[in-house]
Amino acid sequence: MADYLDQIEDESIFIIREAYKKIKNLALLWSMGKDSTVLLHLVKKAFLGNVPIPLVHIDTSYKIPEMIEWRDSFVKKHNLRLIVGMNKEALANGMGPAQGRLTCCGALKTQALLNVTSEQEIQGLLVGIRRDEEGSRAKERVVSPRSASSTWTYKEQPAEVWHYYNLHVPTNIHLRIHPLLHWTELNVWEYIRRENLQVMPLYFAKDGKRYRSLGCWPCTGTIESEAQNIDDIISELKITRVGERAGRAQDQADSHAMQKLRKDGYM
Amino acid sequence: MRKSKDLRRIVVVGHVDHGKSTLLARIMLQLECIPEDKIQRVQDYCQSKGSSFEPAFLLDAFHEEQEQGVSIETTQAKFEFKGNGYLLVDAPGHLEFLKNMTTGASGTETALLLVDCQQGIRSQTLRHLKVLEILGLSEIIVVINKMDEVAYSQEAFDKISTSIKTLISAENLHCQAVVPVSAYLNENIDQPSAKLPWYKGLPLLETLAAVCDKQEERDDENDPFRMILQDVYRFENKRHFAGRVVSGQIKPGSAILFSPSGKISTVTSIEKYPNQVNVASSGESIALQLDEQVYVERGEIISFPDDAPEVDKEILGRAIWLSQEPFIPGATYTVKIGTMEAPATVHLIDTAEDLAEEPIKEPITNGSFVDVLIRSSVPLAFDRSIGPAETRCFVICSETSTLAAGSIDIHARARIQKSARNRNITAEKGYTERQKYETKNGHRGTVLWLTGLPGAGKSSLAKALEHHLFANDYHVVALDADNLRAGISSDLGFSAKDRSENIRRIGQVAKLFLDTGSIVIVACISPFSADREAVRNIVGADDFKEIFVYCPIEACQKRDPKGLYQQANSGKLKSMTGVTSSYQPPRLPALKLDSTVMSIEEEVQAVLELLLAGGIIEKPNSLTSATKAGNKNKSSR
Repeated sequence: MADYLDQIEDESIFIIREAYKKIKNLALLWSMGKDSTVLLHLVKKAFLGNVPIPLVHIDTSYKIPEMIEWRDSFVKKHNLRLIVGMNKEALANGMGPAQGRLTCCGALKTQALLNVTSEQEIQGLLVGIRRDEEGSRAKERVVSPRSASSTWTYKEQPAEVWHYYNLHVPTNIHLRIHPLLHWTELNVWEYIRRENLQVMPLYFAKDGKRYRSLGCWPCTGTIESEAQNIDDIISELKITRVGERAGRAQDQADSHAMQKLRKDGYM
Repeated sequence: MRKSKDLRRIVVVGHVDHGKSTLLARIMLQLECIPEDKIQRVQDYCQSKGSSFEPAFLLDAFHEEQEQGVSIETTQAKFEFKGNGYLLVDAPGHLEFLKNMTTGASGTETALLLVDCQQGIRSQTLRHLKVLEILGLSEIIVVINKMDEVAYSQEAFDKISTSIKTLISAENLHCQAVVPVSAYLNENIDQPSAKLPWYKGLPLLETLAAVCDKQEERDDENDPFRMILQDVYRFENKRHFAGRVVSGQIKPGSAILFSPSGKISTVTSIEKYPNQVNVASSGESIALQLDEQVYVERGEIISFPDDAPEVDKEILGRAIWLSQEPFIPGATYTVKIGTMEAPATVHLIDTAEDLAEEPIKEPITNGSFVDVLIRSSVPLAFDRSIGPAETRCFVICSETSTLAAGSIDIHARARIQKSARNRNITAEKGYTERQKYETKNGHRGTVLWLTGLPGAGKSSLAKALEHHLFANDYHVVALDADNLRAGISSDLGFSAKDRSENIRRIGQVAKLFLDTGSIVIVACISPFSADREAVRNIVGADDFKEIFVYCPIEACQKRDPKGLYQQANSGKLKSMTGVTSSYQPPRLPALKLDSTVMSIEEEVQAVLELLLAGGIIEKPNSLTSATKAGNKNKSSR
């Protein structure tokens, strides 16, 4: 009988192969975090060691500096095609968390992503979100159509039955494909350990603190932790009762902040 | 699909407001699976609205869901209980969110059906049951909720319990248990409840564990091998056939058949990057390398050549419409089965006149159940009763979205008959009962269904058996499919549809003789499991003895008693089982007879032993004592 990690790996590879077959310009939204690291590894497995699609990174200019260094060296080492999206216009006009967290996320992430998908004519994005991250993501489908303005019409999501995903891309719409939707945070770390994947050192504790989730420095806090390595993180996750995104300020901005952000196209 | 030991998937269904989200949240709270900050946020939110703590809000994350107290989308909840992982999928109960319920339920294995103790069975309860049947999800645990509102009354529980059980069996589903609970007040969830002293069963979670344990005992070794082809990659000058095994298993060296194209090749290696594996089982995403270049595309189903899916341009199915966009009978849609996508016209089956189309009386829209005939422009490969959801279930799509989900229906014709009966035919009662016939005959009746390739020796065995039983004064009748084609089925040809219909008729005739207490011997190729399963339903499982007359195709070709193989090989016969059309061997026959090693006398003896073991005949009969005098127990006519 199959191991559970094998089972979700097989499921994700099936989804990735479906998306690649049906979508002309497919890309992987890569934040360098643990989830997109796993997603990239699955793409490589799906295509027998090849990465036939480009990676897209949305740079808000507020990312933790180590993240950008790590990104560039990783891309070089693995010979990947990277597209960086940045809302330069908003940054030039002084956009930042001081303008309000939700406004800032909307401009520097959502709008930047929208710009890059239309410039590059990207029709589908593999995104590493998971149901267990927070409530509105739990309601996602594996394939989620986004209109030209990136809007998620969550009340009118199409039916998704068995393995039949709606991968037809109508004009002016891009599809979000979520191959990790059914994974949990614990699954992700167990898989990283099993596959011996390289992750950013920011996840490991330094002076009793570590990042559980990575983002922009003004809005991403650390958690108290002694976890020095992947084994420690796995043990920690098995006992913790604190949510994964507890350190992410934008989630707590108001009681339905993520639903609002995600409706407008936030990842 | 092979189940993982680590995660049991369960869908929670039921009418709106019968407490699905509350039950899920309650389980999660009891098992301490919800982060404290999340509980705190919901507590704060409820306080700010001036209401008491509402567990359902832990799952209903959308603003509108919390404001209106309903679930819009499916939510999943994972927890561990006694060493097993569980995934509960909360499916919305409102009719307008039915497509979300269907989305939530597909891919799960067991269903929890929630019924409000005071409200009882409501429209969505029934509708959800019908959806479960289409999705092939037959094991159901009924949860009678809100027992606190009826003061934990056993009488109220028994009343609902009886009616829901009747309803479930009417939908061809199985009720595994009925459990009374109060999800809101945490009674009988993870521990027995002192308020329900009359309830002798296990608490809900224990019941769930026991039902899942039982399901996992099922042996899937005998499942047919099926892989759906997603894509063909060319990397480093090699072609890789990428797809997913959805049933059975495959090893390097196996000969494989692509359907519907009919191309054949042999697997040289199975790739799971970065490794090559020696076996791949159900659920695995793999890539095959083959020993010779075959040019096939996405959409094929890969199987072993001697156990292939069916191929036809027409299929009958039962579907649920899941869109606000109304169904237009006769319109062209895209039909998907496996990874195949084909333009097809979809027709309503008139339930009174077999397959004739009828103008629709009311618009078919979200939530309607329809029996359909799908006419594809290209051949489709599919399974009926055997095989996994991936090759047995279909969706009907517009250009942009999934409009309906259905399963290829082995009961389609039976339903049509039943419906015809319901309209204007009432069965006449009062004729002599079968049991009286049997008492008079001095033996029980049964149906011996001999299946196998042309030339395997079915007719020879049927004749020898019939002669023997007749000589020993048994009431016996032999139905040879070839002979029936001259009469009762003289209007039928050899298309897949006509062959199915021929078998159905033979099944019905066998049933008529069975009702007179006869031993009915049927010799019929009956190549597809689904058709044989349909006969099993007609005559009843207890009276249907499937006997596999086995002979390898090469030996059958050599025998070729009717010269059919020669004709088929020279192209004169278009549809010939074993040559141009597949034969699906029985999974679990009552008897398998290998006619290459057994003499006809030994075969007869084996069948007699089967009849003896089944209590059909009473004393051992050997061929040597096969005389009338040898049967003293028989009543004389």
